[in-house]
Amino acid sequence: MAAIRTDGLTKRYSGGFFGADVTAVDTLDLEVAEGEVYGFLGPNGAGKSTTIDMLLDYARPTDGTAELLGHDVQQEPEAVSERVGVLPEGYGLYNRLTGRRNLEHALEWQSAADDIDQLLERVGLDADDARRPVGDYSKGMTQRLALAMALVGDPELLILDEPSSGLDPNGIRRLREIVREEADSGTTVFFSSHVLGQVEAVCDRVGILNDGQLVAVDTVDGLREAAGASSTLELTMGQPPSPDLVTHEAVTDIEVRGNRLRVTPTDSRIKARIVSDLVARGHEVIDVGSESASLEDIFAAYTDDAGVANRTETPSGDETPIQTVGS
Amino acid sequence: MTLTQVARKDFEDAVRSKMVWGIIAIFVGFMAFVLLAAVGTSDTSDATGDIALGLTAQLSQLFVPLIALIVGYMAIVGERRSGSLRVLLSYPHSRRDVVFGKLAGRSAVIALALGVGSVGSILLASVLLAAPDLMAVAGLLASIVLFGVGFTGIGVGISAAVHTRGKAMAAAIGSLLVFLLMWDAAAAGLYAIITGSLPGLEVEAWYFLLKRLNPISSYLALAEASVDGRLTPFFQMGLEEIPADATEEQLKLSNRVDGSLPLYLTDWFAGVNLAAWGVFPAILGYLRFERSDI
Repeated sequence: MAAIRTDGLTKRYSGGFFGADVTAVDTLDLEVAEGEVYGFLGPNGAGKSTTIDMLLDYARPTDGTAELLGHDVQQEPEAVSERVGVLPEGYGLYNRLTGRRNLEHALEWQSAADDIDQLLERVGLDADDARRPVGDYSKGMTQRLALAMALVGDPELLILDEPSSGLDPNGIRRLREIVREEADSGTTVFFSSHVLGQVEAVCDRVGILNDGQLVAVDTVDGLREAAGASSTLELTMGQPPSPDLVTHEAVTDIEVRGNRLRVTPTDSRIKARIVSDLVARGHEVIDVGSESASLEDIFAAYTDDAGVANRTETPSGDETPIQTVGS
Repeated sequence: MTLTQVARKDFEDAVRSKMVWGIIAIFVGFMAFVLLAAVGTSDTSDATGDIALGLTAQLSQLFVPLIALIVGYMAIVGERRSGSLRVLLSYPHSRRDVVFGKLAGRSAVIALALGVGSVGSILLASVLLAAPDLMAVAGLLASIVLFGVGFTGIGVGISAAVHTRGKAMAAAIGSLLVFLLMWDAAAAGLYAIITGSLPGLEVEAWYFLLKRLNPISSYLALAEASVDGRLTPFFQMGLEEIPADATEEQLKLSNRVDGSLPLYLTDWFAGVNLAAWGVFPAILGYLRFERSDI
C-alpha cells in the first residue's frame, strides 16, 4: 500500500466571467511509498500547496482522487486524520492560549497520550516559552509549536508544507533531525519546499512540480547531477577577458562582464579543469567562485529538451536515469 | 464524539475571551439605562415591575438579535481567516463536527449571557421599581434565550457559508434588516398580490403565519404571553389598513382571524419556529461549507 497515491488529481479555478480558468494542479499522479522521505519541490506558485490542500481535504479536486494510507481523503477524512500528522500552509494556532494549552488540545483531539515536555524538547521550544500565549511567539517559535502539534500521536504519515519557513538555521537543523528520526521509526514523511538545499539533505526521493505538473521524480543523486549540469563558474580575471578564452567543448554559455567571466559547463566536474587550463596558459585568475544551480535551472534541466540533451552528451558514464512523469 | 470537543472548546474560549461577560455587561447596562429613563419619565406611583418586564421584552427584540448575530457571525469564518480551522480539521474532526460543534458552543454562550443578563436587568428593575411576577419573569427569560438561540443559528449559518469576515458581517447586518424592516412588508405585499387588497383588520389566518415565521414575530408572540399588554414590532410600515379607532380588543390576534386560532398561530408553534431558526440556517451553511475549499 502506498502512503500517498493520487490519480489524475486536478484542480482548476474558475476565472469568472472575464478571466481565463487557471489550472493549479493538472492530472497529477503521485505515488509515495511507505517509509519514504519524499521531497515535493517546486517554485512558488507551482501548485504544491494546492496539491497538499487536496491531500488534506481542505480543497476539493475538480477531478481525480487522492488516497492517504489507503483511505480516500474525501470519503474517510477522519480515518485519515487519525493517522496523519499535518503542518499545513497558512495554519493559525489559538493565539490567546499558551503553547502548552495548544498542545494539550492537540493531544485531546488526537486521543493521544504523548509527553508534552518531550514534544517541546524535540522541537526545541523551552518550557518557559510554552507557558506564554502563542500570540506573543515569533514566526520561528510558532513554526516549532506547529511541528510539535503535527507530531502528536506518533502519526504514520507526516505531511509538512514548507516546514522550514520562518525557522532559523538551528531550527532547520532540528527539523532535519526530526525528519530523520521519524523516517527511522518507519514514518513516511512528505514535505514541500521551494529550496533545493533543504530536500537534498534528507529526502530519499524528490518530485518536481512545475505549473501544476509533475515534471520529474528522481533520487537526490539524480537531482544533484542535473544541478551540476547547470551550475556556473565565476572567474575574476586580472585583465578583461575575451569570451573565446575558454575553449572547452562541454560549455553551454560564456558571459563576460568587465573583469568577470561567467561560464556554464554541462558538467560541474569540468570546472576545475577550466580553471587549471586558464592558469596553465598564463592567465591571471584573481578569484574563483562557483554557484550551484538554482531551482529554476534544475527545472530547465528537467523540462527543457535542450538541457536534457546536453546532459546525455556529458562524458560521465554513470548517468542516473531520469524518470519523467506526466506529459 | 468530536462535536462535543469542538463545542466545549468554543464555549471555554468565549468565556476566557470575556466575550460572555462583555455581552452581559452591555445587556445589563443598556437595560439599566432604559429603566432609569422609564423611571424618570413615567409617573412612578403606578410604575410596577410589570412595566419593567414589558420594557425588557420590548427592547430585547432589537437587542437580542444584534448580540446573537455578533456572537455567531465570526464563529467559523473567524477560524477560517486565522487558519486555525486548518489545524482543527487536521485532527479527526469532520466539517460537520466543526459547524454543529460551533453552533452548540455559541448557543450555550448566548443562552448563558442572555440568561444572566436578563436576570440582572430584571433584578435591577425590581430594585428600582417593584418585583415582577416570578412566573412572568421565567416565561420572558425563556423567550429571550430561545430568541437568542434562533439568531445564533442564523449567525453561525452565515459564518459557515462565506469566506471572508466582510461578507459575514454584511450578511449578518443584511439579515437583521430583512427581519426588522422588510419581512412584514413583504408579507403584506404578498397578501395584496394574492387577495387583491392590503390586509385589513380581519384577514386570512395564513397572513399571520407568514409574519409569524419571522423569528422576531415569533419572539414577540412568545414574550407577549409573559407580559402585560401588547408588544409591537419596532418598525411598522403601516401597510395594514387598520382603522385608527381600533380598540386593543379588536387588535388581538384571535379577533382578527376567522374562528379559533389555527395551530400555527399558537405560542407553542412560535417556540418551535425559533428553535428551527436556531438549526436550519446552520444546516444550510454547513451544506455550503461542506462543498467549499477551506
